[in-house]
Amino acid sequence: MTALAVSRPRRSSRGALATRLRIVAGVAVSVIFLFPIYWMILTSFKDQVDIFTTPPKFLFTPTLAAYAEYMQRADIVKRLINTVIVATGAGLLSIVVGTMAGYALARIRLRGAATFGLLILLSRGVPPIALAVPMFLVARKLGVIDKHITLILAYSTFLIPYVMWLMRSFFMALPRELEESAMIDGCSRYGAFFKIIVPISLPGLLSTLIFSMILAWEELLFALVLTSRHASTIPVAIAGIAGDTVNGANWAALTAVGTITVIPVVVFALLVQKWLIKGLAEGATKG
Amino acid sequence: MMTETDKTAARRAPVKNPKRPAPRRGRTTDLMVRWSFMFPAVLLLVTLLAYPIFYTIDISFSRFDIATFGAAEFVGWDNYREVIGDYRFWESLKVTMIYLAFALPLQVVLGFGIAYLINVEWAGRGVIRALFIIPMVVAPVVAGGMWRMILDPLWGIMNYWLGLIGVGPMDWFGDPGLAMASIIIIDTWRWTPFIVLIATAALLALPKDVFEAARIDGANWWSTLWSVAVPLLVPVIAATFVIRWLGAVKMFDIVLAATYGGPGKATNVINLFIYEEAFRSLRFAESAAMAVIVLVLTMVLTGLFLRASRKLEELF
Repeated sequence: MTALAVSRPRRSSRGALATRLRIVAGVAVSVIFLFPIYWMILTSFKDQVDIFTTPPKFLFTPTLAAYAEYMQRADIVKRLINTVIVATGAGLLSIVVGTMAGYALARIRLRGAATFGLLILLSRGVPPIALAVPMFLVARKLGVIDKHITLILAYSTFLIPYVMWLMRSFFMALPRELEESAMIDGCSRYGAFFKIIVPISLPGLLSTLIFSMILAWEELLFALVLTSRHASTIPVAIAGIAGDTVNGANWAALTAVGTITVIPVVVFALLVQKWLIKGLAEGATKG
Repeated sequence: MMTETDKTAARRAPVKNPKRPAPRRGRTTDLMVRWSFMFPAVLLLVTLLAYPIFYTIDISFSRFDIATFGAAEFVGWDNYREVIGDYRFWESLKVTMIYLAFALPLQVVLGFGIAYLINVEWAGRGVIRALFIIPMVVAPVVAGGMWRMILDPLWGIMNYWLGLIGVGPMDWFGDPGLAMASIIIIDTWRWTPFIVLIATAALLALPKDVFEAARIDGANWWSTLWSVAVPLLVPVIAATFVIRWLGAVKMFDIVLAATYGGPGKATNVINLFIYEEAFRSLRFAESAAMAVIVLVLTMVLTGLFLRASRKLEELF
């Protein structure tokens, strides 16, 4: 029950009508927001002749032709594997490093740590292109262009700050007595952190990890700049298909690859949606 | 990353007792243990975040040597002078500003409005709120491509529907104004759900007794909204705006997939322009100078927004 709704007497007929109107409007808005995705998935199962029609077709004989054709022709499978490797690597690296730093910011008094935390927060304002240019030049000089690890490290520049701030506010909400009693009982700082704090934060950690992986999964700019053939990811392929002006709009390919990209992420996001909503809202308002 | 020595040091570290100062050696170990939590993040971010920024600044003051692919001699403000004299840079900044000026307020207002709509208590509320997560996890580049299909002037379903009510056909990507509108629509579609989530949490956190009091005083819906709800929400609205701003200045993927800056340069936002200058035209020094200018501009504006939001909070 929202507060605004309370402002009306609940059982009055006007209030009930207003509530019903809000429900209808809310459902309508959700349908509008979900339609584009529905349309993309629907189109991916269409035959070429069913795609380009007026009026647009909602009923047709579904086919997997777009998937079969595109999975063979382009290196989509390889790119998918690359994207999984990079998203997992970047997600894991950032969750470990970011969680420890977030814990330090929340709980351990360190001289200069607050300044460092503020600088990290400021780093969210750095345009990625200001990093992409020097990263490309340095990676080229070191000969690490088109390697998974390069992309993983590049992604950690925005994932570590993200994890740090989310986990910092998460840890600040935990009662201090948790580690203090453990440490009095003879646990070291590490023991208290790994045996008490980490297990208790597991749901929050998991949702932060999943969201970090999603952010890495969909990243485009660094992937465009730092990879070429071997380690290239799915978003680069989609940018290529969408921007292909020579062969015209290949909607079958676009929607098929787009659907493959979106489905796993949506499944994961819905699995952890409760934590995601909480974490996002808190990260946004307190961070 | 922890080294082995760090780990053994940790195991040997004495139990920390806040009331009694530890002996000297113990304190040093303790300090190491404490910093070891922070150290990996500091190390990674200094090498991967701070160093590249300084390198960008370095390049921006140098002549870029294509042969060695690195910064050559120091040229002072030359690159900056060239960039500031380049009308395309200003055009691109203008395009970015137009996008931001329309998209940000639209998304914040829509986000809070929708959050209010979907927050009615009924059986489907949880489902609706969960469904709103979906657009925000669609990769921006997929969003751009997907909408490019929907808005296609010839075969797109949008023009078909608009045709049914007698509008159009609209040349979404051929007309400069409409192309900008398309970008704003796609961006709004992708990002409004994020604001809806934050706004939902904020609405649920509003104190109920204040509204009860307003009701007893006979305040109507409109005045309750404007003199009770909005003032209470101002801090969250301001924070949301700043967060969305920090995301929106990075606009790149959607434009790249949907319009690639076109028609002409009508949607050529600054990040795409710098990207093209650097990686297509190989003008790294000028690109670095532009990146530094954008970085400074972003920081200054972010600072201004933060101050303004604090002022707003005091006002209400």
